[in-house]
Amino acid sequence: MTADVTEGAAADDGVPAAPEAPDPDEAQRAIEYCYDQGWSDGLPLVPVSKPLLEAFLATTDKDPDEIIGSLEQVGRDVTVRTAAINAGMAGCKPEYFPVVLAAFDALMRERAARGGGFQSTSGPAPLVVVNGPIRKELGFNTAGGAFGPGFRPNMTIPRAIGLMVRNALGIHPHVLEQATQGVPGRWNICIAENEEESPWEPFAENGGVPGGVSAVSATLTRTMEFVDNRHTPNPEDVLRDFQDTIGRIGSLIFPQTSVALVLCPEHAQMFAAAGLSKADVQNWLIERCGRTGREFTSMGKANVARPGFNGEYEGDEAFHRILSSPRQIPVIVAGAKNAAISMVVRIFGEWSGTAVPVGEKK
Amino acid sequence: MPNAILDPTGSVTSKAAATAAPRAHRPASLKGARVGLLINTKQNARPFLDEVGRLLEEKYDVTLTKRTKVNYAVPEPEAVIKELVADNDVIITGVGDCGSCSAAAAADGVVLESAGVPVAAIITDSFIPTADAMAALRGAPGYKYATTAHPVAVLTEDKVKERAAQVLDDVVALLTDPQTAGDA
Repeated sequence: MTADVTEGAAADDGVPAAPEAPDPDEAQRAIEYCYDQGWSDGLPLVPVSKPLLEAFLATTDKDPDEIIGSLEQVGRDVTVRTAAINAGMAGCKPEYFPVVLAAFDALMRERAARGGGFQSTSGPAPLVVVNGPIRKELGFNTAGGAFGPGFRPNMTIPRAIGLMVRNALGIHPHVLEQATQGVPGRWNICIAENEEESPWEPFAENGGVPGGVSAVSATLTRTMEFVDNRHTPNPEDVLRDFQDTIGRIGSLIFPQTSVALVLCPEHAQMFAAAGLSKADVQNWLIERCGRTGREFTSMGKANVARPGFNGEYEGDEAFHRILSSPRQIPVIVAGAKNAAISMVVRIFGEWSGTAVPVGEKK
Repeated sequence: MPNAILDPTGSVTSKAAATAAPRAHRPASLKGARVGLLINTKQNARPFLDEVGRLLEEKYDVTLTKRTKVNYAVPEPEAVIKELVADNDVIITGVGDCGSCSAAAAADGVVLESAGVPVAAIITDSFIPTADAMAALRGAPGYKYATTAHPVAVLTEDKVKERAAQVLDDVVALLTDPQTAGDA
């Protein structure tokens, strides 16, 4: 049915839904009830009832009381049951739940998340990366708009993590959560790798799970910046563009940093066509991303850089790398093959890159 | 009867607050006390606490021990707490000037108090809500600590010393109880 409000008597009241549609007044009361309890991240929640909870729990072999993550400093745990309620409230379908569990597991393996990440003034956002057949089975967006809205699993799975942090771990804004500004879309960043158009092995394979197996990797990110370079046939020119963006000084709070390169298929394919593997791209950048001592000093980062370089760099012309291993520059391929636009994602702390297989119901 | 809406908070009471945390007994004075400085490694935390310590040495003839936190973002492990308790009569910790480290300073304070050692945690005034929330989670609602104006990390050496001198009376008041009978 097409709603045409430009003519006809229905214009004033809107077009009524089909008679079998659910009761909107009751739905609104339930949504407001959830707001009143302080459970919401600001957007409406799906009220979860026992039958919905049971549908979630039926997707996993795990015991509902199993603890799947703890934040020792606040003495709070997340159980499978609590995770399921929050995932339901976030708008996940029950069949997404194994991915939610894998994503939370992957994130909580990271020291930065178990430490003060969720309380941090940095206000970092989970970055969830999904690989394998589950991407197609659940309808993840694997193509254009990789970071953006429009697709239910991509939007609701990271939101589930945000609600778990708020409700199960008790980290509330302005109280135990002290983000100065935070990250836009803090609880909405989930990319499904574009394996079909990537010239390389799936990201999860770098994290220990072989290609073809569904797996999730996760970290915390402080922000991201695009590299738009669609005007050169020379891969080295593109790499230099990345080098400059990665080497930005404002985000450096330690002598070393960590970034994820989320390459669009066009950039990835350009590198691969030139014979570069992921490791080649990483090593090219590891060798070149950095500054001279004089630059650090002139840009006001003397105190940040000094501890890493044993105090002997000030004013010197020696070049100091800000990346030292491939682990500090993981490479992921995402987005559409329609323009050469990639993203440099700033990692909060370090990322082990560990991939967690999506559990299958036996 | 319609289905109930389920609560997503799980265990609403923190395990960390299984019992109300007691506040340690205070000495009447810091005269001759063993004072532990627990430095959280945040920028300027060391010179700040060093200066507090130096002033206490001058005024009260205290003996100082210093150690840095294992991880500024989280409370100290049990083994470290034991050592701190064994080695000190009172402890000063800080400077809590971020989301996780202000909460951790309050948590360390509450844990050490329960173990019988008075603590003065120093946090910047931007983090009062998070320190209060952490103390309440740990079973010590209303836990008292010292504050200094935010920020501390950007202060020059002289300004850090000024701040340390300004907070000194509060630190001493937090660590002592004039009602305590003693030889002071």
